[in-house]
Amino acid sequence: MTNVLQVLVLGLLLGGVYALMASGLTLMFGVMRVVNLAHAAFTILAAYIAFYAFTLFQVDPVVSILITMPIMFVVGMVVYIALFPRIENSPKYVEMTVLATFALALIVEGTLTYFFTGIFRSTRPDYATDSFFWGDLFVPKGQLWALAVSLVLLLALWAFLKFTKFGNAVRATMQNRTAAEIVGVNVRQVSTVSFGVGMALAGASGSLLSYLFPFFPARHWQWVAILLSLIVLGGLGSLKGAFIGAMALAVASAFVTDRFGPTWSPVTFYLALFIVLLVRPQGLFGKVVRI
Amino acid sequence: MSALLELRDVRAGYGKGPDILQQVDLTIEEGRSACIIGPNGAGKSTLLKVVAGILSPRAGEILFRGEPVAGKRPDQLLRRGISYVPQERSVFPTMTVRENLNMGAYSLSDKSVVAERLERVLDMFPVLAERRNQLAGTLSGGEQQMLTLGRALMVKPALLMVDEPSLGLAPQVADLIFETLQHLDGSETTVLLVEQNAHRGLEAVQWGIVLDLGTKRFEGPANSILDDPRIRELYLGTRVGSAPEVAE
Amino acid sequence: MADIHVEPVVEADEAPAPEERRGGSRSRMIVGILVAVVVLGLPLARPWISAYNYVLQVGLLILMWVAMASSWNIIGGFAGYISLGHNVFFGIGGYFSGLLLAYLGWSPFATALGAGVVAMAVGVLVGLITLRTRGPAFIISTIALLLLVHNAIDNWELAGAASGLSLPLPPLPVEWLKVPFYYGMAFCAFGAVGLAYWLAHSKFGLGLRALSQDETKAEVAGINTRMYKVTAYGLSAFFIGVAGALFGYSLSYLRPTTFFEIGLAAQMVLMSILGGRATVAGPVIGAVIITAVNEYSVVQFGATPLNIVVTGLILLATLLFFPLGIVGSLREAGRLPRWLDWDS
Repeated sequence: MTNVLQVLVLGLLLGGVYALMASGLTLMFGVMRVVNLAHAAFTILAAYIAFYAFTLFQVDPVVSILITMPIMFVVGMVVYIALFPRIENSPKYVEMTVLATFALALIVEGTLTYFFTGIFRSTRPDYATDSFFWGDLFVPKGQLWALAVSLVLLLALWAFLKFTKFGNAVRATMQNRTAAEIVGVNVRQVSTVSFGVGMALAGASGSLLSYLFPFFPARHWQWVAILLSLIVLGGLGSLKGAFIGAMALAVASAFVTDRFGPTWSPVTFYLALFIVLLVRPQGLFGKVVRI
Repeated sequence: MSALLELRDVRAGYGKGPDILQQVDLTIEEGRSACIIGPNGAGKSTLLKVVAGILSPRAGEILFRGEPVAGKRPDQLLRRGISYVPQERSVFPTMTVRENLNMGAYSLSDKSVVAERLERVLDMFPVLAERRNQLAGTLSGGEQQMLTLGRALMVKPALLMVDEPSLGLAPQVADLIFETLQHLDGSETTVLLVEQNAHRGLEAVQWGIVLDLGTKRFEGPANSILDDPRIRELYLGTRVGSAPEVAE
Repeated sequence: MADIHVEPVVEADEAPAPEERRGGSRSRMIVGILVAVVVLGLPLARPWISAYNYVLQVGLLILMWVAMASSWNIIGGFAGYISLGHNVFFGIGGYFSGLLLAYLGWSPFATALGAGVVAMAVGVLVGLITLRTRGPAFIISTIALLLLVHNAIDNWELAGAASGLSLPLPPLPVEWLKVPFYYGMAFCAFGAVGLAYWLAHSKFGLGLRALSQDETKAEVAGINTRMYKVTAYGLSAFFIGVAGALFGYSLSYLRPTTFFEIGLAAQMVLMSILGGRATVAGPVIGAVIITAVNEYSVVQFGATPLNIVVTGLILLATLLFFPLGIVGSLREAGRLPRWLDWDS
């Protein structure tokens, strides 16, 4: 067993990436009540983009964020416009978004498997295996970069929401959609762009994922379950909650991995989900949702 | 006085349900504040929702200053000058009072105008001025209603529609709200209210409109409409002049 | 004064004649008997069927999916709570009976009902935790449950972990090997559809449907929604567990991916939605169509990942254009043939 501080550091390093991955998902839920089960599938799509950028053109995975984010932003808006206005008036809207994104996830997974097969892939920049020492603690470089990038992007997201006019419109829509409409927010536009932003965040996560964890198409189910679990813990629709949930569960799973091995790491998240549902179903910062 | 808002033969309902508004013909004159009264289920709130763009009409025309606006989105209508305060609490709960009011000015581009309007609204509602940095979700019901009203006034709308301003409020608080609405007489804002409490609503406006079963029954000056015998029939179900009236 | 318009009461001679109504349930009974005869008699028609084992295999699969889709429909259709990891019960049943066979020699035909009970118990226990909220948390929890159990079995050496566990073959001559499994799945199919039929006509089912429309109103009306939901979840697991026990035995091999791969859950969802959620006949039709389509495409194109793409596309198309499914849409248009209307 490793020293507690070391495990804590490893957990926190990963927590940032989980937070980044989950932020797009919770943003989509907050703005338009969409539970995007395809989120991780698109993240893995972005990971493949980063992988081929690296393998074919030697583009560094972190740098590939500049490619994956815009691509996924556009993909996101296209997907939103193609699907969601049609579902908008369904009687059980949230449920419809779940089923529709579930179908979407299957389509993305199948297509990825068809073109890229199920072989485990990983980009291998130097820093993926490098590490440096900070006192007694061993800090893997790749994960440190991932944390740094994640924090920068999350900070940018926060600033966007808090200080820009459009960002305020997004926040308003998250808090009360009708009220936003009546003060002049074009909520359809806000929803479309928010979906794009959420996907762009998935894109950035995908670039980071490409070197942090080996990936293959069907892996997205594990990711989506992890992300959704930590969002439920933090509270659906709460960005603050997603961040805290990500950090807390990343650290917890680091301890579990240290004690029981890496295959049990995802189980930490699932168990956390059941515990949250048992004890405080709305999560830390969520409101009670009615379907 | 010119017609600010006209509804012609408007039919509307929710989802696949029945028509709530049957054949509404209505004119709101500019500068003549009005209140819509009527029994429960008459379609009063539905009417406002249709004009506000929350609900699309199934048939009929809606003209605002002569321009057809039926089926337009709320944000499009706001830019034309229609502001709406719904029945449900609609503050932004985790934004401060000030942020809420600033959101009210979302459609305005001139920053200095916004600052000036903010001060004006805070003058109108001193309670809000006191709590300008408080989170809107922590305000009392009455304060939230004031906030929603103040927010709607940030754009100096030509038509301000308020759905049941006194709902769930203590009488003194409701008084303040109605007073504020009454003060708007003579400004560029024409007020259109929906009120369950007919007396209260009519006291604050110039013109009364009675709605029942989805159509306009009759209308007239606010101070005399309550004396109209047809009112009793509507609310109490007795036909004027018919056999046994309830013993007084 | 408004004219009060009163709808004339439906004239007495317009009401459906008693003979008509009886005719409806008679045609239903005829169809039911025909189906039963065909299904149960198929294995006996050996002399007239070439590729006997293949035909029985396909028949067995169709019956299995009828059972699974109809069971899913209890929670996903009647109760309105979508379960996306529902095949977890398939695996629980499969491993329960499979392990008892491998280590104690007990035939899964004997333990299959036990497998169903175990699956049901898991459903109830988990449901007590996860059905407390109304939001999407339940749906998320069903995926988590699936992955959790999959993960656990992947790491369980005794169960063969990820590479799996070989099971002894049933003590039967090869030509007749499929027959008991066929009848076993027929039992599951008739059982699950019978359960759904009973639900659709019972007070319990009415309560479920009420809560699926508006849970608050159902609660206010005095329905103990939590008990109803948990019971529905448990019931929806039973026949899936039984089917799992039989299926594992029919393959003579237990492997986690066979049972826990999410594509199986997707099939159940798709079949019910395509056929018509919250109807009794819907999942049956959906299961028959989709299984036939799957078999056909596997024969024509082989088992490629495009199958999962097709599943997703059909599901998406159904949701966008056809949300009531076949039975639901026919009923809405007033053109549902009486023999397909098993709900009234």
